[in-house]
Amino acid sequence: MGKTVLCACEDVTLSEVRRAFARGHRDLESVKRYTGFGTGPCQGRSCQNAVVQELLRLGATPAEITPFTSRPPAHPVTFGTLAALDPSALPLDEGIPLPVLPPPPGPSPSGPLPERADVVIVGGGILGLSLAYELGRRGVRDVVVLERSYLNSGASGRNGGGVRAQWSTPTMVRLGLRSLQLFARFAGETGVNVWFRRGGYLFLAPDAAQVARLERNRAIQAAQGMRTRILSPAQACEVVPELDRSRFVAASWNPDDGVVFPWPFQWGYAAGAERNGATVRTFTPVTGLEISGGLVRSVKTPAGRIRCDTVVNACGAWSPEVARLAGVALPNRPTRHEILVSGPLKPWLGPLVSLLGTGLYFSQSQRGEIVGGMGDPAEPAGIAHGATLRFLARFSRALTDLVPAAAGIPVMRQWAGNYDVTPDNNPILGPAGPANFFQLSGFVGHGFMMAPAVAELMADWMTGREKDEIFDRFGFDRFARGTAVGEDFIIG
Amino acid sequence: MPRLPDPRFATDCTVSVDGRAVPARKGESIASALVAAGRPLLSRSAKYHRPRGPFCLSGSCGSCLVRVDGEPNQRACRTPCQDGLRVETQNGWPDAERDVLGLIDPLTPHGLDVHHMLTRPLPLNRALVAFTRRLAGSGRMPDRPAPRGPEASTETFDALVLGSGPAGLAAAEELARSGRRVLLAEQDLLLGGRLRAGLEPGFAPGSWPADVSRAVAAHGGEVAVGTTAVGLWHDGGEPICLLVARSPARTRLVRASRILVCTGGDARPPVFEGCDLPGVFSGRALALALAEHGVVPGRRAAVLGTGPEAETIVERFRAAGMESVLVAQPPIRATGRSRVTSLGLADGSKIPCDTVAQGAPPAPSPDLLRALGVGVDWNPAFEAFSPRVADDGTTQVAGLFAAGEVARPVSAAAAAAWGRRAGEAARG
Repeated sequence: MGKTVLCACEDVTLSEVRRAFARGHRDLESVKRYTGFGTGPCQGRSCQNAVVQELLRLGATPAEITPFTSRPPAHPVTFGTLAALDPSALPLDEGIPLPVLPPPPGPSPSGPLPERADVVIVGGGILGLSLAYELGRRGVRDVVVLERSYLNSGASGRNGGGVRAQWSTPTMVRLGLRSLQLFARFAGETGVNVWFRRGGYLFLAPDAAQVARLERNRAIQAAQGMRTRILSPAQACEVVPELDRSRFVAASWNPDDGVVFPWPFQWGYAAGAERNGATVRTFTPVTGLEISGGLVRSVKTPAGRIRCDTVVNACGAWSPEVARLAGVALPNRPTRHEILVSGPLKPWLGPLVSLLGTGLYFSQSQRGEIVGGMGDPAEPAGIAHGATLRFLARFSRALTDLVPAAAGIPVMRQWAGNYDVTPDNNPILGPAGPANFFQLSGFVGHGFMMAPAVAELMADWMTGREKDEIFDRFGFDRFARGTAVGEDFIIG
Repeated sequence: MPRLPDPRFATDCTVSVDGRAVPARKGESIASALVAAGRPLLSRSAKYHRPRGPFCLSGSCGSCLVRVDGEPNQRACRTPCQDGLRVETQNGWPDAERDVLGLIDPLTPHGLDVHHMLTRPLPLNRALVAFTRRLAGSGRMPDRPAPRGPEASTETFDALVLGSGPAGLAAAEELARSGRRVLLAEQDLLLGGRLRAGLEPGFAPGSWPADVSRAVAAHGGEVAVGTTAVGLWHDGGEPICLLVARSPARTRLVRASRILVCTGGDARPPVFEGCDLPGVFSGRALALALAEHGVVPGRRAAVLGTGPEAETIVERFRAAGMESVLVAQPPIRATGRSRVTSLGLADGSKIPCDTVAQGAPPAPSPDLLRALGVGVDWNPAFEAFSPRVADDGTTQVAGLFAAGEVARPVSAAAAAAWGRRAGEAARG
């Protein structure tokens, strides 16, 4: 036999836990993500204590064994059962788990900080890490990335992993296509698997207005060589036979879009950036920015101060908070977005499917889970990470209407992340306030898929190479100039 | 001898498992019927295609998933048998027993580093992604649309008591006798929880569950068996519990100003090489299956543990005709192909056995309490996370109470006393 299996759901062995710890994944949230323990049907009920016993033997601190956030439902329940709940009888609230009072002390900063750096990047999500990686490749080695929590704690670790080039403007199509290229070669380049699979994106249009929108987008996409086609319901059902074809009148299909497993990107980019000379520090929040003469001079953290030439704000939903430290008022409005996974199924669903006008989208992960979300028009602005029963009811209704066979599948886990929403649904890139205070935020739920391409362009610009037109188009000053152009193909 | 030769335990229905008929008793779980039939192998595991079978038999682990009447990933231990039920093992080809991909396990003695394997060159990585996608996932998509569940009812009670072990019974009784309208929800079809296994002499349930039921009903309350608390949420700013019953199918949204979580602990798998083999079970669950359905899990059992519960389990197995030994030292490894055949100990000795029963008490189960904001602490004494529950059953969350093994290992008598105090505190 040979193996000591701690997590029977996901086949996680004692030696895999030891390997994760040795690689620096020391806290329970990180060990969970790196090994996969506790992500199966029992959700850690059978294995979390055994993993903690081993981590303590390995030398984990009490703060590092804070239990991972428990995820509802406590027991699997089928989409069909949840679809019977009336969402309108379930008013939105902050969701669960409710905060614990007093909160347990978190892990301390993961290592000493350098006293100075050329570039300090605030935010260890995919945007910040990919920028650190690309800067390193261009010879800027003196880079520090500061992450307030564990890697994958924010939206980069909470999204559904969809990556597409089916957008509505030439700029976004170009960025999407470039990102897809970079996603495809990420594993080979960084040595970390991300399970990129070109299963396509299938957008379903329920009415004539949505069909017109898809037709318009298709023309823009075709101009850049994309293979997007408009399909009849019967043709769409050849791609996904389980769809109820009475629910839509046409579909837009690009077989070259795809899905990835989001977590390893953070590990791959962080390790790659460190190989290129950068320093990545977790559990290190930024508490202040020292400004004089119109420039940010240093970044303050509980672990010390870093003098620097340039600061990049890549904090996603937290970007306005960090910008405020420099006296800059960003217009970003973080908004919760809920998501769930089912138990793992054998492959049946190739593409990511989205039903326009409803916010519903779903795909099948590499592990076989149905991963899906659905935006809620009633959701107020504000950072929130709680999960609601209302979302389970809304999603399950919409999914089982569109895919009736899904009714018998149990839901395993739900959680939430935050979209970083801007007034025109486009990102905010480049300086704001102090001349060396760069923004890399406002991606409205699509930062993950845009990050590789945008990081390349941003690193080019920051190292004195070509300045792409996106930095004019998506500059902070567009709101003052009144030149904002809205992106209308936001999903979820 | 799969079952005790007592007419009380006669089988009365047949379920089909991978096309083969398995005799069963109506109302017992699929997992119980398969243990009685000597066939605990239900699926192959996610990565290494190791054999998997039921462990906890009580809905807290995830290793007994099967396909039932075309619906994938159903817990065999939560699905009651009835005539004609169609059960299929999962993730094995041609089936879980003969699975060809079972070769992955011996071929990867040091495991797989999935994050770093075969990342280049690109064509090889693409092949890896395509191949592992085929391998991944356990259940197959349902063959046909399932009907939507029944419309959910929305109900309000004075108090909601989850779980009917000694703590839940005592809490519900206390609340009912003080005039509160109580909903007592139990996931099994019978009340009593751990008392049903009868492992604590001197604390037999007797007529207590029936007395409590009468008391609850007398004050306008209700006892709902076969009803699982799927979760607690907070929609609308107040705690709300989703309760799901299978047969008859019923979905209920329940609000109550007092919620008492007495759902018991989570069976705790032992940790040693091969601990995940079919044939390794929760001892308490086996004792319950033996007591209620006459299930004799095998011929030779090794019972792990040092406490009185483990000793009683050894006696029960012996009385049922099994060879049974108590194993006080930590095992080193279990061996066997599709089921455990022997247990190796630190002193070099080897115990031939087809059944390993975990006799250690269950671990606390904080998830429902954590949902509403109860904190947990690592308890080094019993090496488990334990929710913060006071001796009077109160928690840091107003209106949320708990008692019994859901919070920490306690005897049945102590759990009952704790449940009573929680009932008093919740009575208000």
